[in-house]
Amino acid sequence: MRPMTWRLTGWLTLVMLAMLGVTAAQAHPHVWITSTSELMYAPDGSITGVRHAWTFDDMFSTYALQGIESKKKGVYTHEELASLAQTNVESLKEFGFFTFAKADGKKQKFEEPVDYFLEYKGGFLVLHFTLPLKTPVKPKVLALEVFDPTFFVDFKLADKDPIRLVGAPEACKFEFQRPNDGAASAQALGEQNFTDGGNVNFGAMFANKITVTCP
Amino acid sequence: MRPQLSRTLALGALAVTAVLTIDGVMHVLAAQTPFGGQRPPMNEQAGGVIGWLLAKQSEFYREMSSTIRAAKTDGSAVWALLAISFAYGIFHAAGPGHGKAVISSYLVANRETARRGIALAFVSAMLQSLVAVLIVAIGAWLLNITAKTMCGAEKVIAIASYGLIAAFGARLVWTKGANFIRALQVHPPVPALALASVSASHSHAGHDHTGHDHAGHDHTGHDHVHHQHSHFDAHHDHSHDDHGHAHNHSGHVHDEHCGHSHGPLPSELAGPGGWRRGLGAIFAVGLRPCSGAILVLVFALAQGLFWAGIAATFAMGLGTAITVAAIAVLAVSAGGIARRLSGASDGSGALIMRGIEFAAAGLVLLFGVGLLTGYLFAEPLTCLQSIL
Repeated sequence: MRPMTWRLTGWLTLVMLAMLGVTAAQAHPHVWITSTSELMYAPDGSITGVRHAWTFDDMFSTYALQGIESKKKGVYTHEELASLAQTNVESLKEFGFFTFAKADGKKQKFEEPVDYFLEYKGGFLVLHFTLPLKTPVKPKVLALEVFDPTFFVDFKLADKDPIRLVGAPEACKFEFQRPNDGAASAQALGEQNFTDGGNVNFGAMFANKITVTCP
Repeated sequence: MRPQLSRTLALGALAVTAVLTIDGVMHVLAAQTPFGGQRPPMNEQAGGVIGWLLAKQSEFYREMSSTIRAAKTDGSAVWALLAISFAYGIFHAAGPGHGKAVISSYLVANRETARRGIALAFVSAMLQSLVAVLIVAIGAWLLNITAKTMCGAEKVIAIASYGLIAAFGARLVWTKGANFIRALQVHPPVPALALASVSASHSHAGHDHTGHDHAGHDHTGHDHVHHQHSHFDAHHDHSHDDHGHAHNHSGHVHDEHCGHSHGPLPSELAGPGGWRRGLGAIFAVGLRPCSGAILVLVFALAQGLFWAGIAATFAMGLGTAITVAAIAVLAVSAGGIARRLSGASDGSGALIMRGIEFAAAGLVLLFGVGLLTGYLFAEPLTCLQSIL
């Protein structure tokens, strides 16, 4: 090709790259969730599932409540919110409930959620649901991550008691990392590469990582 | 466009693209180096330009709800709301779904001017805002339907919009493809042959497009033929970027070769009245409302401040328009430079230009089909992931 054609090609490539480049900027959160999670233990010390309580931001809460009838203005009972909770749970399925668990490095699968309901508290919707593990596990190390790989939803661990172990053996300890902790994001990013071999999981940088160790 | 101006634009565009590209590459590298041990820890949630864009968008978006709340008691907060919405629009439009790519490709394919690109960006953004306001005003305010039902309406509109983009793209591909093939046939160009084939195409286009189709499509096709014609005719002085000039030429040529054309006069296509022909693009792009705007409107309505939500939506639209216009100008100037460069070469220049226009038309079609099937640029904003 002649130099002119090269320049031309270069130019168009640049324009295309610019379009793609700014496309990446699209991945920004539209829904904010403040989460608290409980790890449920069976009497024999195995982990049976995760119980989440997710508080949606006020804008999303208002949007979701649009058109939902209530007897008393501004007060919604669990029954009045039942169909919305159903919708939530059904649509969350597509995203794997944004919950990723590994027992001693092995990926765990979850059952369909149970015991789910919505409550309306001080202008915010709170979604409660339990994700039972397909098979209860008794690992030395359990890694639990709550995040949206596409970063459409921004998950934040609650300031107070974001994690609780319910019925866990006494020796079990947990620690958690928030995404704005620099070390956490670098670590999450690194691990994600090894497991998935790409940077597709952009949201992994924003993961909330919970680690439970039982000796 | 004056050479100096376009050069400045080109340099600016180059700088922006370079920064974005380097930033993107850095991101990929930073994320993908499995060797090399410790990566430097990231202090922010995400570094670089993209990280900054992300942070800004989230920041503005979150401030919108608190500002609307504040406006309930303090009227002056509305000004802050407008400013935030405007800023959000500017940042947010960087993502797809705001017609940026479609408008840019359309402009390149049709060799439109920067001014027309800006006009298209603004009108389609305003239409987008209007559609959002109408959906919420009718759906939520008048009928009090649920978010889920409203989402259904949004989806129908989105599909209609994508379908229009695809149809619009198919139409462009059809005309541009024909031109490209014609250019291939006359390569190496023999002036007499080129002229003959072009005037044949002209008559055909004029005959084919008058009357039955949508005004937007009709004019688009027709207009292009005029342009192309002038391009071939004025092949020796290469000043096609100048819109007015090109039109003078096509007017001139019209008398000589195309007396039998039934299309509109060139003067009807030029100037402010001629933007009718962009109508197809405006509708295709502007029909689909921004989900973010709908969210803000519903929230404002629930707070009893619907009017503030409407104002915010239009402020957002204005911001969106500015970003889309900037990118459209970038695309137009890139096209202009391509034209100048290809003009500098002897015969194959016309062929290259036809090829570029054909490719750009193909992109419009690709965007339309891609959006329609949801494989390309899956729209994540559709009704907030169908109510999480």
